[in-house]
Amino acid sequence: MHAVEPIKATAEGAELMPDLFPLFLSFKVATLATVISLALGIGIAWLLARRRFPGKDLLDALVTLPMVLPPTVLGYYLLVIIGRRGPIGRLLEETFGITLVFTWQAAVIAAAVASAPLLIKAARAAFEGVDRRVEDAARTLGRSEMGIFLTVTVPLAWRGIMAGTVLAFARALGDFGATIMVAGNIPGKTQTMPIAVYDAVLGDNMPLANLLVLVTTVAAAAVLIALNRLERSAFQRNRHAGG
Amino acid sequence: MREVGLMQEVDPMLEVDLEKRLDGFQLAAKFRADAPLVALFGPSGSGKSLTLQCIAGLVRPDRGRVALDGRVLHDSRQGVDLPPQRRRIGYVFQNYALFPHLTVEQNICYGIHRLPPGEKREKTGMLMKLMRLNGLGDRFPGELSGGQQQRVAIARALAVEPRLLLLDEPFSALDSAIRGKLHRELLQIREELGVGMLLVTHNLEEAYTLSREMVVYDAGKVLQAGSREEILRRPASRTVARFTGAKNIFTAVVDEVVTPGSPGGTEGFLTLNEGHFSVHAPYYPYRVGDTVAFCIRPEEIILVPAGEGKPPVGEGQLPQADRPAAENQLVGENRLAGRITGEIARGSAYTLFFALQNGLFGPGGYDLQIEIPFHTYHELGLEELKDGVAWLPRQAVYVIGGEP
Repeated sequence: MHAVEPIKATAEGAELMPDLFPLFLSFKVATLATVISLALGIGIAWLLARRRFPGKDLLDALVTLPMVLPPTVLGYYLLVIIGRRGPIGRLLEETFGITLVFTWQAAVIAAAVASAPLLIKAARAAFEGVDRRVEDAARTLGRSEMGIFLTVTVPLAWRGIMAGTVLAFARALGDFGATIMVAGNIPGKTQTMPIAVYDAVLGDNMPLANLLVLVTTVAAAAVLIALNRLERSAFQRNRHAGG
Repeated sequence: MREVGLMQEVDPMLEVDLEKRLDGFQLAAKFRADAPLVALFGPSGSGKSLTLQCIAGLVRPDRGRVALDGRVLHDSRQGVDLPPQRRRIGYVFQNYALFPHLTVEQNICYGIHRLPPGEKREKTGMLMKLMRLNGLGDRFPGELSGGQQQRVAIARALAVEPRLLLLDEPFSALDSAIRGKLHRELLQIREELGVGMLLVTHNLEEAYTLSREMVVYDAGKVLQAGSREEILRRPASRTVARFTGAKNIFTAVVDEVVTPGSPGGTEGFLTLNEGHFSVHAPYYPYRVGDTVAFCIRPEEIILVPAGEGKPPVGEGQLPQADRPAAENQLVGENRLAGRITGEIARGSAYTLFFALQNGLFGPGGYDLQIEIPFHTYHELGLEELKDGVAWLPRQAVYVIGGEP
């Protein structure tokens, strides 16, 4: 069986790189998922924080739901939607010949949906914390709404957005339930790190499990430290803001 | 090269007619103003700041019209509602609302980011010099004192050359000790740039010092709009009189009307009968038998100890020597005998409570509140329980307009 081969190789200690594939895949998936969360989440967070519109409560509930649902339930929903018989899945397959399920791209979607709510919550709170009078002052100075958003609102909400991004990245990196439902557990293709750890423990391959866990922990810690540095450097610039 | 602020020869003409309901509060404000300095004056929560926000376009009124120099900024009937970006109205917020993440220089440049770098630098330099911010360009707002923050906020607003500058309680966050200095500075800036200013304040002294025209607010309504002298000398209602510090307010019946030009009084006057005392007041077109309200400011009453004869000369409120002889014969008018029943020392002045001989109140009560400068108090030996004569100069008796 194709799937068993790389694991055997590790057990013999011949080559390490194939074993670390799940780790690379996980970081790739989590990074892309976080980028998607940021792209969509910032706009939604701003809408929820600053605008009144019909269906706002519904949108709020919809973006919070992935946080409360069990990940497998979330994964099942995604499977229904992007699966080959689902509305979006069928459309993609019929028009572009693309099948999403059981690909690493599906893992990105699962991780993005699971992690975006954390970013949206944090960014929304950060936007709400920006003094509206400061934005109003910018309006009376003639700046466009988009200009104000980019030069006043985002810089002042920066810390909250960064904190949300860190949380979202961590959540995306660690997703198991939703990912396994839509992307499956195909070693070398869709097997992300949390699934590989589960697989290794199940297969009684403790050296591999230990290696994955250790490398993941070190890598995750490094990412968190880097992001914190970034956040603090932005804070340094805002030090005199007095909060 | 254009000048900073573009010296404005003509005072801005502002027309405001607003209705706005907001969380159980109802604003219905209507006034016109065409003075270089206009003050919206009234107690906190009376709708002054909301009016500013509607003028600037930050809050949309439910109904109404706002026009500046005839240019319609908002008209709910015509469906006109210019965004704040296009109104050419500067706004200095109560807490200044500076951009905390930008330096002083970046704050001032914020609205003129499209200017060529050279012009931008020149303009920022001029404004920083004008507002005495030299050397602070690289500081962040959090590193500045309240007064400096305010000057940055004004410079930032002036950079975009507004036609009208709105100032919301500009001095309320500052020490009273430095307010006087800042008042003078603001007037000086206005003189130099010629920009029209509309400011909100709940402080009468500030409103009077900084404005030519006043709009008096209470509970979402405009009680009176007019020149500051008019507001003081001819309040439209008892509330306006109370807001403007006229502590002594009475209701009286018009006993006598002497029209201007008639023998015995070239300027004309009214005799008002309060019931316990009568006073002469400047002429207004009333008829004998009309009921009116009138007020006297505590600092405009002259008090002398009993039996000392004529009131002291040189207080400023005496009829001037060049007035017609008929006027001077009235030096003895409006003199009311009574007793000082209480006093409060207030630093530079004393507040005395004065009960008239046959006044409304018995012993211990008072009919008039009188403010006497510290030195006068001591020179004349005015003190509690002394008998005295209160002189109410005729020009200081202000007949209140509207319903008594």
